[in-house]
Amino acid sequence: MTHIAALAGIALACGLIIYLVFVKVPQKVKGLEKTEQINAILPGANCGACGQPGCFAYAQALSQQPDLVTRSPCSMTLNDPERVAQLEKALGVTLDASELSRKAVIHCAGNSEVICEYSGAMTCKAAAQILGGYKRCPYACMGLGDCAAVCPQDAISIDPDKNIALVDQSRCTGCGLCVAECPHNLIELVPAGTKIVLLCSYRPLRDIPGREKCELGCIRCRKCLKACEHDAMEWNKEQGIVQIIQDKCTQCHKCIEACERRGLIDLSKAHEEDPVRAE
Amino acid sequence: MSELIVILLSMALINNIILVRYLGLCPFLGVSRELKPSFSMGMAVTFVMLVASLATWVINHYVLIRFNIEYMYIIVFILVIASLVQVIELFIKKTNFALYSAFGIYLPLITTNCAVLGVTIINMMENYTLLASLVSALGSGLGFTLVMAVMAGIREKLDLADAPKSMRGAPVALITATLLGLAFFGFSGIV
Repeated sequence: MTHIAALAGIALACGLIIYLVFVKVPQKVKGLEKTEQINAILPGANCGACGQPGCFAYAQALSQQPDLVTRSPCSMTLNDPERVAQLEKALGVTLDASELSRKAVIHCAGNSEVICEYSGAMTCKAAAQILGGYKRCPYACMGLGDCAAVCPQDAISIDPDKNIALVDQSRCTGCGLCVAECPHNLIELVPAGTKIVLLCSYRPLRDIPGREKCELGCIRCRKCLKACEHDAMEWNKEQGIVQIIQDKCTQCHKCIEACERRGLIDLSKAHEEDPVRAE
Repeated sequence: MSELIVILLSMALINNIILVRYLGLCPFLGVSRELKPSFSMGMAVTFVMLVASLATWVINHYVLIRFNIEYMYIIVFILVIASLVQVIELFIKKTNFALYSAFGIYLPLITTNCAVLGVTIINMMENYTLLASLVSALGSGLGFTLVMAVMAGIREKLDLADAPKSMRGAPVALITATLLGLAFFGFSGIV
């Protein structure tokens, strides 16, 4: 009995001392009120995506140079309208959240066939070292979850059937930590207002002989281009892919219907209309 | 007096906390890339070791031994050290912001560092007096700082060296640590 009481007593004393210091010690350091105020708005995740070693350091930098918020934005804050409003008030600037906020998109529909058995280290980076991965398409998502492992929001999950990574857009804060992880460079940070995205990274200009795309891969038929009634699509000759002008897009979904390969999806409905899940 | 000097030297060099006792290896490899941060880290660890030794000595003698519950020393020490570091961090954040910026991220990082816990446990095992505990903590901290600074100095030079590609970074740092460890074994047997 005594040991429980003693341990509880020590713990209580420790807690009490922390509380007393927190409440009773006067705040002697001046000039930090603004930093504290900004720090309260920031998410406090200390993810480091803004380039500062922590949220408090970011708040300190922001209090000295408010324009830092546009140069190295905190995407976690920008995804929350309430926080954006508070930050605007605290910094005295206006922010266009849809302009700055980003979402991660994995450009692969994940239908590529597995062409060999891989039993090495279960990371995408290791698998990509051997013949560019074990799937037929050299730009396929291998689904070993390097991106999911670094996601601070647990927004990326691995589809067990198709073995590809899926981003939960409602959870994604656009911190961009996953982008660097993908050895096939499939992940892109797109503006949060993006409507239609192409779920394929196979581009003819970087064709590899003998490595074909899957039956969901873009075949450059340009049917989507013809189907669009709002001039929201144009052909990028340099890259050999279709590009969507998001401002003109009305989300009529004509292009999605026209696409025989089901390569285009509406990002806002990514989970409902997932070409992988729909099958 | 000579006993205290022996303790100081033995904790700093002969039984160096990093290279001979293999404690605190995380900062040893993680923060030893540049001289300045590694020195700050060493100073912060020295400070926390001193405070933790003082607190755990008091707790050990006036609570644990008195109530006959010495077997709980690990959990109690962790609890006491962690909350102590939190209190110190909170206190200097409110009173001396320059000092807080100097400690930076290191103070919360070493809250549960095994080197700090290790020194307090060694003090307890050796049945040191309060003064001897403090001297041993000081010696450990100085030894820690010395090794961190030496390692950082070598690694700064290593970055410029033309190492084979497969050896760059962590492998060559580990080999350096081995050689440094061998060098410190030369002190053994002096006292």
